[in-house]
Amino acid sequence: MTDEHFSGVGAFILYAVTTAMMIFIMAPLLLVMAVSVSDSYFVTFPPQGFTLKWYAKVLQDRDFLEAMRLSILLALGTTAGSLLLGVPAAFALVRGNFFGVAAIKGFLLSPLIFPALVTGLALLQVLAKLGSQDARLNLLIGHVVVTSPYVIRTVVTSLQLVDENLEDAARTLGANRLTTFWRVTLPQIASGVAAGGLFAFMVSFDNYPVTMWLANSEYSPVPLVLMRQLVNVFDPSVPAMSTIIILMAMVGVLVLEKLVGLRRALAA
Amino acid sequence: MKSSEVRLDRLCKEYNRTVAVDDVSLTIEPGHMVALLGPSGCGKTTCLRMIAGLIRPTSGDVFVNDKKMTDVPVHRRNVGMLFQNYALFPHLTVEENIAFGLEMRGIAKAEAARKVAAALSLVQLSNFGKRYPAQLSGGQQQRVALGRALVIEPAMLLLDEPLGALDKGLRESMQVELRALQRRLGLTTIMVTHDQDEALTMADKIVVMRDGKLEQVGSATEIYQRPASKFVAQFIGASNLFEGKVEARNGNGAVIRVSEHLKLEVDQVPASAADVMVSIRPEAIIVEQAGERSAAEQPNAVAARIDQVVYRGFVSHYYLKTASGEQLIVFEQNQSQQSGLRYAVGQDVVARWTTPSNHLIARH
Repeated sequence: MTDEHFSGVGAFILYAVTTAMMIFIMAPLLLVMAVSVSDSYFVTFPPQGFTLKWYAKVLQDRDFLEAMRLSILLALGTTAGSLLLGVPAAFALVRGNFFGVAAIKGFLLSPLIFPALVTGLALLQVLAKLGSQDARLNLLIGHVVVTSPYVIRTVVTSLQLVDENLEDAARTLGANRLTTFWRVTLPQIASGVAAGGLFAFMVSFDNYPVTMWLANSEYSPVPLVLMRQLVNVFDPSVPAMSTIIILMAMVGVLVLEKLVGLRRALAA
Repeated sequence: MKSSEVRLDRLCKEYNRTVAVDDVSLTIEPGHMVALLGPSGCGKTTCLRMIAGLIRPTSGDVFVNDKKMTDVPVHRRNVGMLFQNYALFPHLTVEENIAFGLEMRGIAKAEAARKVAAALSLVQLSNFGKRYPAQLSGGQQQRVALGRALVIEPAMLLLDEPLGALDKGLRESMQVELRALQRRLGLTTIMVTHDQDEALTMADKIVVMRDGKLEQVGSATEIYQRPASKFVAQFIGASNLFEGKVEARNGNGAVIRVSEHLKLEVDQVPASAADVMVSIRPEAIIVEQAGERSAAEQPNAVAARIDQVVYRGFVSHYYLKTASGEQLIVFEQNQSQQSGLRYAVGQDVVARWTTPSNHLIARH
């Protein structure tokens, strides 16, 4: 696209609206980052002075580091779990030609529609009934339930764009169904799988409503620790923790963009 | 390359009670090229995919060299297949695409590389091995697909409208090229097309399909000159079709009355004395100036008026109307030395043709 398409009053309005949107989305994040370096005992804006001492404090905080470790492992496990369930499910939904495909699709995507709070409570009751006591396992199950629809959605979208003839061609050339999926289909949907995986990781990492029901005092992921800290002492260590999470997410997105062209998948 | 005989035995395919392929039996001789021809939805592609093993027949069997293949999964059938949209793997280079089938067969790297190089040279793309499919033109992509299908030394080659996406000129040169290559390799080939010219150009045997059934099987000349049904007569080329009653019959022919002004002499004996149908190809009819010879009461001749003329370069199409209202279409080759058209709209003429041009159609 060349500049000449963007000139005159139309272009001015477009740029103005875009800028306003960017500010609307970015401002809270920038604000959080700004106050995280404030040299004061409470969160104040504008930040006073400049210090990295809150980062130093946070990175020595055993509770926070423990929560980070738990959250990262949980998010990784959730990503793996929702990919393992979501990719085959998406494949069946797109390629399968069985009775009730549409109904099953709606059902599998339903956690996106129901309030997570309700899903969390329902899970708590079911898991309690089943006698599942391990908070880590319960969290993993809960998070996979919440995140699988994201994986299914992105993978379904990218699978629909894959020419089925490619798979047929591979099979006539001597590849069985599994090899065909691995060697031909998966490379075509890599960006969709990566996008779904990233969603799963991030949704798991900052999920509060489901986590709240399933965590216990021993195993508290980052969102709960953050919330607790916020209620107790609202000092700049909370924004510092938040900033660390924001930076982590940014690095994740950039790496995936480099690897598989995430933008393309999200655009689809 | 060893040629295979392919035999379809009472092949049927139903989808939710709609019959896509209905009781198709067919033998394809080793080394032959057969075209499954028909309008879309006639079941030709379903047939091809059942031969490939991509679709399981509802009933009936596919035999290759008398070995039953119906239960053999597609990846063990050793078929080379070309698709309309080429179906090249976009994430692999040309070389990797061609090597895919060899890799699946566990062929050693060095041996595979040698075969890939040979395949590339066979399809005249030796310098394109490192490119990706998106960097090639449509014609080049189809050559890669051909190389990829041939390198595995398939038992047969299956073509699913392979040239449909190419523009006309390239399609015609690819038709000739593909046919020559197929002959040279002696590879049993089955192609699906809705393009009658493609079928006539390329196939040893044409299988006309309609509504899941075989309509007629025969060589290009048989199908064109002796269409078995009204459908075939109209689908392949253009036809003048006349319905009439048998007026007289002798030992090896009959006279058929179409109307007051038109009667036809055929050299076939009609099965029934009742209504019959006759097809005459437009190029078999000769147009003469009116008054040269009268057409009255002569068989295979009728007085008519030129209704419309279409000049198509090397041929002209004349649309004629007789006094009793029949319409005739006549193709006449234009002579390079002649200036202008031979007949003008509104001119009175006589249309005349020979007895062998009248072909009695068995099924209406």
